[in-house]
Amino acid sequence: MGNHASITHSLHDIGFRVRVDKDPAKLNQADVLILPGVGAYPVAMDALKERDLVVYLQEQARTQRPLIGICLGMQLLASVSYEHGRTAGLDLIPGEVVPFSNGRGHIGWNTLKCVQSDPLVESSDGQAFYFNHSFYYEGPAKYQLAVAAHTSSFSAVIRSGNTVGVQFHPEKSQEAGKTLLKNIIDGLVHA
Amino acid sequence: MLKKRLVGVVTIKNGWAVQSFGYDRYLPLGKPECLVENLDRWGADEILVQVIDRSVVAKSPDYELLNKLAQLGIGTPLIYSGGVNTIEDGIRVIQSGADRIVVDSLLHDDLSIVDGLSNQLGAQAIIASIPVKMGRYGPEWLDYRTKLSTQLTKELVDCIAKGAISEILLIDWRHEGAPGRFDSELVHQFPVNNVPLIAFGGVSDIAQMSELFSHPNISAVAIGNFLNYRENSIQRIKEDLDSPILRPPNYAAESTLLNNV
Repeated sequence: MGNHASITHSLHDIGFRVRVDKDPAKLNQADVLILPGVGAYPVAMDALKERDLVVYLQEQARTQRPLIGICLGMQLLASVSYEHGRTAGLDLIPGEVVPFSNGRGHIGWNTLKCVQSDPLVESSDGQAFYFNHSFYYEGPAKYQLAVAAHTSSFSAVIRSGNTVGVQFHPEKSQEAGKTLLKNIIDGLVHA
Repeated sequence: MLKKRLVGVVTIKNGWAVQSFGYDRYLPLGKPECLVENLDRWGADEILVQVIDRSVVAKSPDYELLNKLAQLGIGTPLIYSGGVNTIEDGIRVIQSGADRIVVDSLLHDDLSIVDGLSNQLGAQAIIASIPVKMGRYGPEWLDYRTKLSTQLTKELVDCIAKGAISEILLIDWRHEGAPGRFDSELVHQFPVNNVPLIAFGGVSDIAQMSELFSHPNISAVAIGNFLNYRENSIQRIKEDLDSPILRPPNYAAESTLLNNV
């Protein structure tokens, strides 16, 4: 489940053409695949399975096709989640999705701190973005491009090859979000 | 650091944005999408659209309005309230462009549906609307449909405590629309301490906002019609508050509606 209208508008605003689709033949025509997501992890993975998109997305990532996961879409890139039990993810970026230690969500605007030099995100260092999640990605430091501070520091942007995940909602982060989204897409397409 | 938030509220009745006074009197303001577009342009941290006549007459959520708002392409997180009575309603509201939903009458009628919404959408998407007034023994909870107030039930407190909802919209309903009249005692004496509160109803004064933001349980302050009295009101409030716990004022966006004039 995703809020397609918001991400579509944001992408139009920054000059991209957008197609919302679940048909691999149509998706193959795109330069960049974006996996948005709102809701609970098991429900989202079931939806991907029903649409026969699990293997497709794994193959696309393996061939270095640009792929961006947003919010729950980023968490789906991980190996496993513990939201409502254990659910296997797409396993495109090794790591686990776990709850915050206080058992509560991380909701609102938080500042990004870049922990690796990467042109995709470094110009957004110190800017605030809108987060809305109760679980977060925990994995090897080499995949972390940027973090945010909550109960502790957690991954806000992760990357493996041309697969990138952002935990926040760039499409709901006003101008800062549009700039970051454009930088990520341009960076991946021209990588 | 996670910032505290200034939430702009648009109240809608019979399809029109209205100014609401104490859940009782209403004055028309205009088209909801114009007010939402202003709040987006002014850099609100979140926008709450509350359609107050849906549950009163057992209507489903206002999808037509949500579609209109989706067409605006706002870049600000949108919270929707009004007529969410089933899990399917909640899913469709999110699919229609809202980022989070508010439940109110469901808290009185069927907490199992609140649990179901939380399981489907994640607790971060669920906000509990709790209109209260100070009573003899602390805050009393209003059922706006019957106009009767009672103590918070154990079932509701348990539902909140187990994490089915992420935040509480704590509404001083008697002082809604009354400048500077929000009763801070409602925050101090609210019986649930482990869930962030969004204070709403009669908040208009900078000193009062500053005091509310200093409370550890307050994650956001929501303001309704008081924002409509001047241009760039969100940015001006943030400048007046001048606090690092808030996101700095943002002047970047242009009005898309004005482009069509």
